[in-house]
Amino acid sequence: MDRRTFIGTVGAGTVAGVAGCLTRDGGNGNGGSGDDGTLRIATYDSMVNGESPAGPWLKEAFEAEHDAEIEWKVPDQGLTQYVRSARENAEIDADAYVGVNVDDLVRIDDELGDGGLLRELEVDRLDNADRIRDELEMGDPHGRVLPYDTGYICLVYDETLVDEPETLADLTEPAYEDALLAQNAQNSDPGRAFLLWTIDAYGGGGYLDYWGDLEDNGVRVLDGWTESYSGAYMEGERAMVVSYSTDQVYANEYDYEMSRHQVAFPNGQGYANPEGMGILEGATDVDVAYDFFDFVLSSEPQAEIAQRNVQFPAVGDDHVDLDAEFDEYAHEPPEPVSFGYEALRGSLGGWVDDWAKEIVGQ
Amino acid sequence: MSDSDRRRLRDALRTRLERRALSLAALATAAVLAIMLYLPVGVVFLEAVLEAGRPTLAYFRAVLTDPFYFGALANVLAEPLAVRTHLEGVAGWLGAVSVSLTLVRPIPGLELPVPWLALETPGVRLGLFGFTAYQAALSTVASVALGLPAAYVLATYEFRGRRTLRSLTILPFVLPGIMVAVGFYAMFGRGGTLNGLLGLIGLGPYPFIEWNPLAIVIVAHAFYNAPLVARVTVAAWESVDRRAVETARSLGAGPRRAFRDVVVPQLLPAVLTGALLTFIFTFMTFPIVLALGGLQLATVEVWIYDRVRQLAYGEAATLAVLETLLSLGLTYAYLRYESAQSGLARSAGSTARRPLFPDLRTALSPRRLAIVGYGLVVLVVFVGPMASLIVGSVTDGSGLTGRHYAFLLERQLEGASYQTLPWVAIRNSLLFGVATLAVAVPMGVVISVVTARAGRAGAVVDALAMLPLAVSGVVFGIGLLRGLVFGVPLPGSWRFQVTGAVAIVAAHAVAAYPFVTRNVSPLLANLDPAMVESARALGASRYRALRDVELPLVASGIVAGAAFAFAISIGEFSSTVILAGSRDTYTMPVAVERYLGRRPGPAIAMGTVLLFVTAASFVVVDRVGGRFER
Repeated sequence: MDRRTFIGTVGAGTVAGVAGCLTRDGGNGNGGSGDDGTLRIATYDSMVNGESPAGPWLKEAFEAEHDAEIEWKVPDQGLTQYVRSARENAEIDADAYVGVNVDDLVRIDDELGDGGLLRELEVDRLDNADRIRDELEMGDPHGRVLPYDTGYICLVYDETLVDEPETLADLTEPAYEDALLAQNAQNSDPGRAFLLWTIDAYGGGGYLDYWGDLEDNGVRVLDGWTESYSGAYMEGERAMVVSYSTDQVYANEYDYEMSRHQVAFPNGQGYANPEGMGILEGATDVDVAYDFFDFVLSSEPQAEIAQRNVQFPAVGDDHVDLDAEFDEYAHEPPEPVSFGYEALRGSLGGWVDDWAKEIVGQ
Repeated sequence: MSDSDRRRLRDALRTRLERRALSLAALATAAVLAIMLYLPVGVVFLEAVLEAGRPTLAYFRAVLTDPFYFGALANVLAEPLAVRTHLEGVAGWLGAVSVSLTLVRPIPGLELPVPWLALETPGVRLGLFGFTAYQAALSTVASVALGLPAAYVLATYEFRGRRTLRSLTILPFVLPGIMVAVGFYAMFGRGGTLNGLLGLIGLGPYPFIEWNPLAIVIVAHAFYNAPLVARVTVAAWESVDRRAVETARSLGAGPRRAFRDVVVPQLLPAVLTGALLTFIFTFMTFPIVLALGGLQLATVEVWIYDRVRQLAYGEAATLAVLETLLSLGLTYAYLRYESAQSGLARSAGSTARRPLFPDLRTALSPRRLAIVGYGLVVLVVFVGPMASLIVGSVTDGSGLTGRHYAFLLERQLEGASYQTLPWVAIRNSLLFGVATLAVAVPMGVVISVVTARAGRAGAVVDALAMLPLAVSGVVFGIGLLRGLVFGVPLPGSWRFQVTGAVAIVAAHAVAAYPFVTRNVSPLLANLDPAMVESARALGASRYRALRDVELPLVASGIVAGAAFAFAISIGEFSSTVILAGSRDTYTMPVAVERYLGRRPGPAIAMGTVLLFVTAASFVVVDRVGGRFER
């Protein structure tokens, strides 16, 4: 293309744009801020954008204690953005990532090779690491992440319309016909958690039969949590929705009818979804990152994260002090279920694919 | 150099520039298309025919013969030569069809038996493509059925607020899918507005969405596309030459006959444009199906999105190529039809409108009552979901509240730079919208002019230029990501990357210019070539002839196209998100999606702000544009 013609016709605005289009890869592909005491932490949106998000609080409290600054980043494609950047050898604009779950680790390794994207953590550099509850162990053989909070997926139901389901098998009974709302396990966290829970209960050979029965009983699978909860469930379309066990905290805060926000743990279980934090491979401020992780696992931040993000703390009860109201309305399942890294690696993609083809109605 | 020399030089330069203006603009258009459209789409489509760098057709074979995708047709595609077997299959199917008379109750909850012919078939496995086409066809029928009466009313009657209403027909187009879904639940849900109203007269509550999710998805598609059908049809209707109708009447044709023989042929291309666009859009539908129908009503597009997420690029690209070929084929067929229509020369805005309700007697005539009935349907389908959203922004579980707006205000005043600030979103949306107008309108007009002069090859060129309509959002998004955001590696460790505001405006312009072209082309094709020729013979450059003769005559099309371009820019979501990355180039729809967390209140408030800002700007665009129309 004749570049002069292009510039001449399209005008000055584009000149700047096109001139900035040619970049030169700089050595390690890291255009980072250098070792200047600024820690760039990427995370998901609700960490900084909710009604009372934990992110801004963490930034302020950490900066008050340490001689360092925090810069939050919210990549619109989430962790996937960095996985793709790493694959294309493009620049990654963060040092740490807060909000990695086990599925993410499996996906990273499927795409980038074992132990990719995040570096192995030296856990003994963290004084508070041994406070983390044992059951939140994600089982990553490369030790890349530490959990900072956890949530449980369960059923939320309207007690005026249905009784509490005792078991997963109950959901296929006539009493629960056209009652259940679930989410697309291909791209929704609670949706995938519920699918994995049924795989845990019925095994890789039997879960599709179970879902066939659920379909015959009229289960509805919407795209994500927002569609199924804010749309369908809140408008009274159905009596039951796959959701989080902290639902009543919101119901209490916003004066919802509590009868419509009952929490059920069929089989006495709930699926645990611990969230972890890790340091990216190209990070420049590794020391500050360790300081930050240690800070996040200390008592006060643990309580703030739990209450602001309405999740459970990652540390044991004697290391954190929560409001009485939180304790009253946030329920924990008697028996948390979850698949660790080893069980998901190599199986997750196939399980989800087969499930989706079963659900897509032809 | 003396003053006169300087002036002469300047005039000479200007003349030269004017002479070249059209080709320069065409070149610039081609450059934008190459970088923002053909490069990203090409990057994706290459995946369909390459496996580890080698050309292959394996992906196509696998997809075409998989019953999951093509249902019963897959067997035919697998063994196209086994005609006998296939015929036997069809005969066996026909033999199993039975017809019987039964009683049905068409209105659930009402015991009103109606005799009905029940058709029992053994069923055909449609496959993903079959189902997608089926729902797209139903959605198109619904959109045309809802859109045409609106076009009729807007084009033939005069009433207070007509022009504002006409501007607002474009509004649904800009609403993010998830907002529309929440609006539909708030309107049609078991606890929604409609059941609230029916409850006042002792009916209900009815689970409208539960009865038939497919029907609700189709109504939602009509919500998006009927205004589009209405808008293109009104634009054509208003440019119907009154004199031709009057001539027909004076030659003895009745009003009906004059309508059928003079008006209808001039409306048909516009109606078909609307129907075709609706079919293509709903064939490639994505967020609405997922939000209202869920995975059980998945379309091809949903599956492409999933394949991409699973990094099965080969399969995703193959599906995308098939989808694109299908819609390009439809576009080409339509364009051939359009170019075959040689209509009468049109001049804009000579329609005389009758008052809608001049007096009580007329208001009670069957035709006016039908219009009132249609108005009620419009209230339920279009106004309802939007009004329910607005109500949702000022209420919460326990009554009236201003906290959702207070949240936005507080976020604006106290928010940190990494948080999503409402004003930044509004400002960006408006800036990108205006910039898109400035780029897309010239692009669209240039393409119209070029194809109008290209003769028979015009339809092919035109179909290729319509590629943005035929390429799905998911494919375009992935192409942008892989082709532009991460950049194309060049020799010497250089990288060609396009991101940020310039890229967003270019992407919006690429998505928007086909609407300008589609609105301008039919008018341009109907211009009398003699007018341009005489201007040229009198010494006008090609550009002067375009500017002074052709453009004023197609102004109504340009204004209609411009409104679409603005609407598309304001409502665009997927490529904005991808190109904005984590920078502060987010727009209103992006802000809405970001606020949607555990509590949808602030997101709905932000959506209401989007609704008002956008509505206000459309009224402005349309009014300002209307002034140039005359």
